[in-house]
Amino acid sequence: MKTLIIENIDPKKIGELMTVSQKFCEIPDIIALGDGPVPGKFGKVWQTPKTVAANLISSVVNIIQEEKYEIILMSVSTLGTGLAGPLSATLSAPVVTEVTAIHPDRVVERPIYGGKAMIKQKLESTPAILTIRRKYFEPATLDGTTASTPLSLDADKVRLVAEKNEQADGIPLEDAAVIVSGGRGVGDKDSFALLQAMADQLNGAVGASRGAVDEGWASPTRQIGQTGKIVAPDVYFAVGISGASQHLAGIANSKCVVAINKDAEANIFNRARFGLVCDYKKILPLLTEAVKEKR
Amino acid sequence: MHIVVLAKVVPDYLVPSMDFELKDNRAHERYSRMLGLYDENAIETAIQLKEKTSAALSLISFGSENDVQFLRKAAAMGVDQLILIKGQSDDAAVIAQNLMAAVKTLGPVDLILAGQQSADMDRGVVPGILAQMLEMPFIPQIGYIDSKGGEWAVTQITATGKRELEFKGPGVLSITSIPENVPRIPVVRAIFAAKKKPVTKLESINQGKMALTELGVEIPKTKSICEFIDVEDMNAAAKTLLTRLTEERYI
Ligand SMILES: Cc1cc2nc3c(=O)[nH]c(=O)nc-3n(C[C@H](O)[C@H](O)[C@H](O)COP(=O)(O)OP(=O)(O)OC[C@H]3O[C@@H](n4cnc5c(N)ncnc54)[C@H](O)[C@@H]3O)c2cc1C
Ligand SMILES: Nc1ncnc2c1ncn2[C@@H]1O[C@H](COP(=O)(O)O)[C@@H](O)[C@H]1O
Repeated sequence: MKTLIIENIDPKKIGELMTVSQKFCEIPDIIALGDGPVPGKFGKVWQTPKTVAANLISSVVNIIQEEKYEIILMSVSTLGTGLAGPLSATLSAPVVTEVTAIHPDRVVERPIYGGKAMIKQKLESTPAILTIRRKYFEPATLDGTTASTPLSLDADKVRLVAEKNEQADGIPLEDAAVIVSGGRGVGDKDSFALLQAMADQLNGAVGASRGAVDEGWASPTRQIGQTGKIVAPDVYFAVGISGASQHLAGIANSKCVVAINKDAEANIFNRARFGLVCDYKKILPLLTEAVKEKR
Repeated sequence: MHIVVLAKVVPDYLVPSMDFELKDNRAHERYSRMLGLYDENAIETAIQLKEKTSAALSLISFGSENDVQFLRKAAAMGVDQLILIKGQSDDAAVIAQNLMAAVKTLGPVDLILAGQQSADMDRGVVPGILAQMLEMPFIPQIGYIDSKGGEWAVTQITATGKRELEFKGPGVLSITSIPENVPRIPVVRAIFAAKKKPVTKLESINQGKMALTELGVEIPKTKSICEFIDVEDMNAAAKTLLTRLTEERYI
């Protein structure tokens, strides 16, 4: 099936979509957003430095119609989400977002109810639009680059005034082998320093639940879960996190979850490999010290 | 100025996985119902905007008559008018078409706010479809909104940081959570007043469904056996955990 990827120039994101595309075609085409060479081997490549979804719709629609694409792939992001609905409406195309598995015969699978259930749906017509949840498909290695032609665009509907990167220095959450994550149970912003100290000892990164982000204790770029980052560390320390299904949706592929929670009934213990029922403030400094001694 | 907020009543999204049950491929009806989490953020954002701009604020929901009691919370928070389209469908195109029909009954609107994701279908698609049908721009994951010289200035919360965006004319925004839009708790007087507020009820329009067939819904099987570490002696507990993590080669 003729497949088009629409993605920012980011080798991991494009790599994951490349893996997905192989379920539908041999070599996909791509609309690549951002500056610099487009990594990987593609059929046709269009490129633009513009990345605001609302400004891309009409030209993307033209390309899909002219080239008769059958499958459109994007990852779950402000770009993918910004395009999925509008493309579906203009092209009268079925759209399925947050896809986690692709089965034969155009059957796709995705979580609903915060990951408490999985729904299987069959795409009954083309073009069909899919956004793919991060970290569910192994990124393909992208060999070389492919030359692009510029994507022509109409005048901007939405003006990009400024863009701020608020990612913390150090290991990105998505790549961290160890994550120490804090929730509303951490109690205040300053106490996140205890989590940072522990993460530093383990060469890890600090994450947060939506509870902690809503309190203003952690930046939204640290949020883990269904509507935050999807992570897959070897060890995930959940500190003062209740373990709502929407949070667990972001750590489904973690190898070992260690839960520290003072409520023995907290749902996080149903996902954990090791559990400590206590006040995290008592155990975390001791744990950090023990790691330090062992190194 | 007229602002519209779209909100959906959903089954309790905090039911833990262990207790989750399906009936006819949907959450069992025994779960209590409530406004979606991000929909409450959208309602709070809309109310703050109403207070800043003296706009009129209408809420539109597509759902069952039984939902009205839960929608009243939005009225108690500060929404002026509640509109319910009576219908039942999880099809995003059907929902969007019905929402559009209800928006059109309001005359010109200046801004439409939705939640980032519904708390049952979890997809973030409905507002984008609606926007395109109304020929308005759609911008997802907005935290802050300001009205500036006849334009909207908004902040999008992305995976890596923030983006400042501006546009003229009406648009559809999906709202994410920020510390400043944690939903207010309505005061008792407002709750009582909201109970008496009339609700506009519209019949649903029968529209074409999306070309998607639902094949089945299943609850994934998860098994995890938690080894609880004795915390009587905290020092020993820390050492035991570390030993177990090393033994099993996690670190
Ligand atoms: C559509 C949708 C998407 C969502 N997306 C996400 C998402 O991406 N990420 C996410 O995290 N959530 C998400 N949520 C929200 C989720 O449902 C929960 O509300 C949220 O995860 C709760 O955060 P929390 O565990 O920090 O807070 P709480 O549920 O309040 O839990 C705090 C925990 O801390 C414990 N505690 C308190 N004090 C201490 C102490 N001193 N020591 C040890 N433990 C202590 C308590 O026992 C409790 O278990 C989403 C919800 C919806 C509806
Ligand atoms: N039945 C509905 N009634 C009103 N608003 C809805 C409905 N379904 C979805 N929405 C709005 O669209 C957002 C995204 O929904 P969804 O695409 O289902 O994730 C929700 O957060 C609501 O704001």
